[in-house]
Amino acid sequence: MKPGATDSWLVIGYGNTLREDDGAGPAVAEAIAERGAPGVRALACPQLSPEHAETVAAAGQVIFVDASAAGGAGIGWESLAPPAAATIDGHTLAPGTLLALARQVYGRAPPSFALTIPARRLGFGERLSPETQAGVDAAIRAILEATSRAAPENQKAIRLGQ
Amino acid sequence: MASRIVIDPVTRIEGHAKISVFLDDHGNVSDAAFHVVEFRGFEKFCLGRPYTEMTGITPRICGICPVSHLLASAKAGDAIMAVSIPPAADKLRRLMNLGQIVQSHALSFFHLSAPDLLLGWDAPPADRNVFGLMASHRELARAGIRLRQFGQEVIEVLGGKRIHPAWAVPGGVRAPLGNEGRERLQAWLPEVFATVRATLALYRGTLPAREGESRVFGDFPSLFMGLVAPDGTWEHHGGRLRFTDAGGRIVADQIEPRDYRDVIAECAHPSSYLKSPYYRPLGPEAGMYRVGPLARLNICSRMGVPEADEELRRFRALGRGAVTSSFHYHYARLIEILAALEYIERALRDPDLGSAELRADAGINSRRGVGASEAPRGTLFHDYSVDANGLLTGVNLIVATGQNNLAMNRTVAQIARHFVTGGRITEPMLNRIEHGIRCFDPCLSCSTHAVGHMALHVTLLDADGKVRHEAWRD
Repeated sequence: MKPGATDSWLVIGYGNTLREDDGAGPAVAEAIAERGAPGVRALACPQLSPEHAETVAAAGQVIFVDASAAGGAGIGWESLAPPAAATIDGHTLAPGTLLALARQVYGRAPPSFALTIPARRLGFGERLSPETQAGVDAAIRAILEATSRAAPENQKAIRLGQ
Repeated sequence: MASRIVIDPVTRIEGHAKISVFLDDHGNVSDAAFHVVEFRGFEKFCLGRPYTEMTGITPRICGICPVSHLLASAKAGDAIMAVSIPPAADKLRRLMNLGQIVQSHALSFFHLSAPDLLLGWDAPPADRNVFGLMASHRELARAGIRLRQFGQEVIEVLGGKRIHPAWAVPGGVRAPLGNEGRERLQAWLPEVFATVRATLALYRGTLPAREGESRVFGDFPSLFMGLVAPDGTWEHHGGRLRFTDAGGRIVADQIEPRDYRDVIAECAHPSSYLKSPYYRPLGPEAGMYRVGPLARLNICSRMGVPEADEELRRFRALGRGAVTSSFHYHYARLIEILAALEYIERALRDPDLGSAELRADAGINSRRGVGASEAPRGTLFHDYSVDANGLLTGVNLIVATGQNNLAMNRTVAQIARHFVTGGRITEPMLNRIEHGIRCFDPCLSCSTHAVGHMALHVTLLDADGKVRHEAWRD
């Protein structure tokens, strides 16, 4: 890890912006990028892919933001770690697999979190449902609050979504 | 007693894709069908919008080949305006497409296929993946990631963003290649050339041991289709359509992409909503054709660049006339990466790429526009119809995965015939069917980022619908 790297945050919001609520992740990332908070880099993309591993490995901490079709009422936080057994079997990677790749290739998997936003509609369209838009707003607030603190000692709070 | 085996990849939102293997009364494989998603939803979604928006919308169809949709869409827009775009704009679009070919083929080869090819199909599943590959071929795996990064860098240097660059527009492109970006790419070239040369040498060394697989992984006669230059040279963005047969003979040549309906028809199967394109004059059976790297190398007379031409000669020795095994899509992909790098190197020396004359302007001069470009997986058509105001009244997208559908069915059936024994689903069968599909590198991730996961659910059913055997792979 390079000196000074621990205070940098990487926010990756991913999803398809033509599939209604699946675009929640990119919407959050774009909003975070617009805020221009110091020490916070945001990346919006349709899917996670292997070349993201270098960027991830260089970050102090990473927040993966994704829409979730699993239901639930509000945004969810979860701590992430590289799985013991990872594989790449499609054109896109899961966050844990990307962390495993970062560790394997670049020697480092930073502390990471998954922030999920409940998705209600996944048809064709560019608009978010009101529920998911509310989740996006909540996610932006949570990320800005979390990243405004000194990073390492606040990981517990981040995990709890406080 | 007739039976059916179903292999059902799990997806989150849509992209319903499954494999059905049909057994006859004697338990022998009689047929197979690979069902993939099509983009009818996007086609409907776009109606009523200005055609000029399509270069911003259609790249978002797919996270893995957005540049392909971008360029085909821009070409369809050119046709609606009835303009010839400035030469520099054409060169810049070509450069971006070469970057797309490099990054997409690198992902397919190094991350998805190399573990099977270099570690073997019977290696433990826990090891037979890119992480296992890193343990045995660490530098190769790292170099593969860097190669893909280079392709992405070409796209980013031109478009400003790696994914979904709204850079190509009807009439041309928005920006030239800057000196800083040109120098960055030129400095990177020696490394990626070294990677692909070393990989080709390694891969060629594995071919003798893979003769068995090459005979059952989709080795059958078919037509091949793609774009070629007027003199038959390999094409990836311009040119016209050529069909050749399994003997390497030209069946049809120099067909304008806008006339694709004269030579391509679609048939429907009762088991699927997916239509299967075929060469119209020969009908669905004899007219089955393949697109993509294998097809492009079979139809062209030469690559047009020295190192790739030398490699093409080695490749051609694998067949008589045409190379007919789908297994050799992998080799073809590597050769196309090499060719793309040679063309990129050549392009970066061209001062035209810094030109300020990049865009033609015109109104609506044609109510229909067809754009065709070679996506990494094969020829991509965007066919738009507009009203007098330029609002879309019809959109038809013909993608490579759909065009390869009949050939993928045939490939799966051939593999299943070889490996399905005793009415049971075995690990070797799963591994090889999975890889048979992977030869074509079908794009299942075009609808959402979650689609494309190749988890398999295989069920063997008897004629009464009773489950005889099931196997899962997450």
